[in-house]
Amino acid sequence: MSHILDDMVLLYHRSSGQTHMVISPVPEILETLEDGQPASARDVLQRLLRRYDLGPADAALPEVAAQLTNLAALGLIRTA
Amino acid sequence: MNARLLVRALRDPGTVAQFGAGQWNALIAMARAERLIGTLALRIGDRPVPDAARPILADARLDAEREARQALWEADRAEAALKPLGVRVVLLKGTAYAAAGLKAGEGRFIGDLDILVPRDCMEAVEKHLMLAGWEWVKSDSYDDAYYRQWMHELPPMIHQERDRMIDVHHTILPLTARQRPDAGAMIADAISITDGLHILSPEDRVCHAVAHLLADGDLAGGLRNLWDVHCLLAEADPAALEARAARHGLSPHVRQARRMADALYGAGRERLTLWDRIVLARLLARNGWGKETRKGLRFAFYLRSHWLRMPPTMLARHLFTKWRKGHRPA
Amino acid sequence: MKHRITLRIGPATFRMGSAWPGPIRSLERLYADYPAPADGIADFTVRLEPVSLLRRWLRPSIFITGDHGLADAAPMSLAHGLLAAEMGMNLQMALGWRRHLLLHASSVEKDGRVLVMTGESGSGKSTLAAQLGERGWRLMGDEFALLDLETGTVLPFPRLVSLKNRAIDVIVAEVPAARMGPLLAGTAKGDIRHLAPRADAVARMDEGAPPALLLFPRFGHAPAIRPVGQGETFMRLTQASTNYVALGEPGFAALTRFVTQVPALAMDFPSGEEAIAMVERLWEQQR
Repeated sequence: MSHILDDMVLLYHRSSGQTHMVISPVPEILETLEDGQPASARDVLQRLLRRYDLGPADAALPEVAAQLTNLAALGLIRTA
Repeated sequence: MNARLLVRALRDPGTVAQFGAGQWNALIAMARAERLIGTLALRIGDRPVPDAARPILADARLDAEREARQALWEADRAEAALKPLGVRVVLLKGTAYAAAGLKAGEGRFIGDLDILVPRDCMEAVEKHLMLAGWEWVKSDSYDDAYYRQWMHELPPMIHQERDRMIDVHHTILPLTARQRPDAGAMIADAISITDGLHILSPEDRVCHAVAHLLADGDLAGGLRNLWDVHCLLAEADPAALEARAARHGLSPHVRQARRMADALYGAGRERLTLWDRIVLARLLARNGWGKETRKGLRFAFYLRSHWLRMPPTMLARHLFTKWRKGHRPA
Repeated sequence: MKHRITLRIGPATFRMGSAWPGPIRSLERLYADYPAPADGIADFTVRLEPVSLLRRWLRPSIFITGDHGLADAAPMSLAHGLLAAEMGMNLQMALGWRRHLLLHASSVEKDGRVLVMTGESGSGKSTLAAQLGERGWRLMGDEFALLDLETGTVLPFPRLVSLKNRAIDVIVAEVPAARMGPLLAGTAKGDIRHLAPRADAVARMDEGAPPALLLFPRFGHAPAIRPVGQGETFMRLTQASTNYVALGEPGFAALTRFVTQVPALAMDFPSGEEAIAMVERLWEQQR
């Protein structure tokens, strides 16, 4: 469950009962995973590039991978 | 007045239909004090209750649902943290009942996450939990040394961000206790419920709950623990339970718990011993304001609980150290 | 317990028991105008007990407990019995109430809309609410604002207002003595005196209204007003709520609705009179 405020996005994570306050690019990354299918960091980046201009893909990949690691640590996504 | 009012309502929730306001107030205060309000609310279910009682019971049901959801999430997080170790992680008590959808878990208050792991993995388990964000609660060196040397668990840990506690056990009772339930056998016979998480077998679940009720605690919160036992007994095979209790050195305790569960929550057919009656008096010592009564009896059980766990000289030393620091039975 | 009283405040009913008559007598006097509870079944039980049997008579010390309690709560002197009773009720609400989102905030109503004020102890939110309550606003509560989970309406919880230190003289000057409690000198928070809300505010204690403005007042600073972003407001309100986490998803929905619908302002003020003028001006601008 999410809610957009003027300066950030709120995520309510039902299983943990935790509220996360996130800013770009987290909501956008989560959106690419909405179908629930497993995806690699490269897949996520490809999907992001289709919608946003992220500059050189090589520079963005480590950033996406790091965000995915953080999201997995919070339990918002799972490592397959 | 004592907690028989609460016990009767749990055993036969239809009886609340005749309750007046005074009895309802007493019932609610007792159920909250014994942490049985969620269980009571689910037992009462859709039966007609006074208007003012309805939202109280509805709140208790919602609280219980949320607790179960959070407990399962903590179990999920612990499982994720310990996955790389490849050890069997066995859920205990409330979380186990909720995870397996057992009757004992319906509406049950769940506090900390309790897990049982093989004793020789303790160090690795501790390390992996700390990597995943859990940290020590106590910094007191006496307590820490006491836990590690004599208790059946690591000192409690709390998660930095989620503020939830985990108790990691490697035996069922403290190493100082007289009975030595076979934790290794319990782990070996545990049942897998999800990828990576286990619960005890039905018979071991009874043995474990009984160990906590009778051989370990000072019986504080005993009505809830006895309710657990009552529900768990229905799922255990009587012959297998006898054998299992004997193996863990808990036969007299399991038999006594069975008699007491029958006396309070069952048909009341079994004959009680004098000692059963004393223990029951302790369990029921609470008045209509939710306050514990019979201070002398409670203090006797407090001393006994330490006596059961420790050799006498060690007990004296422990109580003395606690006393100086201002811990006294309430 | 020997001495007892049952009180209804807004949607919550409390059954209070005390080992001593004093605290109950104070409650009886100050809550005399409150409507009687409907059927005698209380949402919460509060107990004021002696710390030990001996301390019932000798330097009597009150231990505050009940359905919900804090094991390490410091005992209070019997002279502060009224404060102990009020704290006992607060404790039950803070730890046990689930029917509304609880905001640690004061609230006042005018023209059918509510001004909510939240801030730390000492921010001036209590005093300001009490003063507005004597100047044409309806005092809804000085401690908790209850946010309806479905409609977003703010419901009153008009307990006694607890006035501290300098605020006491300010209010005593404009309120009849019959509505004031005894002076409780030298509590952990200094001197405290309780104020009973006006009879009309008590009579309307079941009547909620939609929130129109959220203020973060701060006493003791040069006058200043700044808007507060939704993200910051959300974060500060989760910290000001004692049951946000316990409510789960409905709490999230109620709070996000409040934050997106209600404008939020930080208001610094040097004095009570100045604050009242600032509030009235802001209220006019919001219309």
